[in-house]
Amino acid sequence: MASVYKSAKAQESEKKANGTVDKRINKQRVLLLSSRGITFRHRHLMNDLETILPHAKKDSKLDSKSHLHILNELAELSNCNNCIFFEVRKRQDLYMWISKTPNGPSAKLHVQNIHTMDELKLTGNSLKGSRHILSFDKNFDSAPHFQLLKEMFTQVYGVPKGSRRSKPFIDHVLSFSIVDNRIWFRNYQVVEKNAANTPGYTAKEKEDMTLVEIGPRFCMTVIRLFEGSFGGSTVFANPEFVSPNMIRAAHRREKATKYNSRLAAQSERKAKLKDAEGKESELSTRKVFA
Amino acid sequence: MSAVEDKHAEEIINMEEEKNISQDPISLEELDASDIDDEDGDLILEQKVTINNEVAMKRITEEFKLKDLPWIEIMSVTSSEPIELEDVHDDLKRELAFYQQALEAAKIGREKVKAAGVPFSRPDDFFAEMVKSDEHMEKIRQRLLDETAAVKASEDAKRQRELKKFGKKVQVEKLQERQKKKSEDMEKIKMLKRKRKGAEDFSTDDFDIELDGGNDDKSNKKGKRGLSNRDKKNSKYGFGGKKRYAKSNTAESSADVGGFNPQKNKAPFKGQAKRPGKAKRAANRGRK
Repeated sequence: MASVYKSAKAQESEKKANGTVDKRINKQRVLLLSSRGITFRHRHLMNDLETILPHAKKDSKLDSKSHLHILNELAELSNCNNCIFFEVRKRQDLYMWISKTPNGPSAKLHVQNIHTMDELKLTGNSLKGSRHILSFDKNFDSAPHFQLLKEMFTQVYGVPKGSRRSKPFIDHVLSFSIVDNRIWFRNYQVVEKNAANTPGYTAKEKEDMTLVEIGPRFCMTVIRLFEGSFGGSTVFANPEFVSPNMIRAAHRREKATKYNSRLAAQSERKAKLKDAEGKESELSTRKVFA
Repeated sequence: MSAVEDKHAEEIINMEEEKNISQDPISLEELDASDIDDEDGDLILEQKVTINNEVAMKRITEEFKLKDLPWIEIMSVTSSEPIELEDVHDDLKRELAFYQQALEAAKIGREKVKAAGVPFSRPDDFFAEMVKSDEHMEKIRQRLLDETAAVKASEDAKRQRELKKFGKKVQVEKLQERQKKKSEDMEKIKMLKRKRKGAEDFSTDDFDIELDGGNDDKSNKKGKRGLSNRDKKNSKYGFGGKKRYAKSNTAESSADVGGFNPQKNKAPFKGQAKRPGKAKRAANRGRK
């Protein structure tokens, strides 16, 4: 027994000496790609995500929207165990699929209110490829589907330690908050006050940290959660989600009813006028001055 | 696990029964998830499907969760307070809530990162590629400058408008004041004249005061005359209107004698010269 232990220990020390031990414990790689028909804003958002996530690998556009299961193979080909897929419908609606390939789970989210990093209102800046702190709202613990999403976000959006292109310092925060049953995404730069950037700074100050927004910002609505990756049985379907198509249709219908009601009113008025004319009597003008 | 499967089986049985009874319209509650091809939510459903398989979700979360990892591998912080907003559309309050959530996370994160022995803040002399390029940052800076300049300009314009609004009023007030002052001065001069007539021994101090007042009046008049000169010149040398025969006499001008004043060319009255005292006169005589 002792000899077995000794040999095992010797092996371990040998490994250490060679430096072959892979220090990375948390291995996450994300495949990032979009469907065809992506708009410029969506594309910019995708580029922003690529710059934020150094462990992401961008791939070319996927041709098909119906056979999403091939994404699992694509992810495997590029050694990824996560996937973010931007599905664009009708060249305007963006759906973000987040998936743990190859075995799931996966989530389909509707993305709205996109502001990219290029916007001049967002004044922050950070190192390219620095790791970030993930900040979650406590609301994420309130329901099982949010818990599941939280775990997925931590794996997909969190930069693992020692990932290939990551830089040593931590200078920004990704925040996920739940308001109005939507998930709001924000990215802030951490600015620590010091004597150089704050006049009259004393080391005793407690509030020595401020945040400046870097971007991008967007808002996600959960549509469905699936057990498998890009498929499988649905474990959650958001009853509050209304498809953008429905909203547009409702708008159009509203417009149509406006026109219809106007037409109806016109014909009603015509009938009324005709009614008011009355019948021809003996003394009507046409008979008297015939 | 077993509970989930039981539920699933029950659902399937329910569905089959339903199929036997009627074909249309199927209540969506009874449909299995795989039967609905509504991944993008395009179908118009008569009833929204409410699938919320909590047991399965908990199981899945537990299955794929990252376990037994030191915090530094994940760096995730959950806020202490959930965000609750009365009005979602109040941008300022919403963004503030997000900011506070992130700030709390950043502070907790910093402590934990330092505890794990990993450097947190970037030293000032660490230069590397940034997320936004220098050109972009320059644009942002320029925009900020432009914004402040625009705010300042608009404020200036506002002030100017206000001034213009009240300028007329101020002008009228000033004219009235001037008129008032003039009449007061005239009153003083009259008083002075009366005094001088009544008693010849007036103190020099009194005179000094009057002189000051007189000087003031003179300077005021000077400014006014300049303006009227301009008007005169305009009427004389032409500021619109006919220029011919402007200098020639007309019936009215030849009949008018009001403009001539022989006093005008005489030196103004300066009061009687005082006779010097006897000693002075004697001295003067000696000098001659």
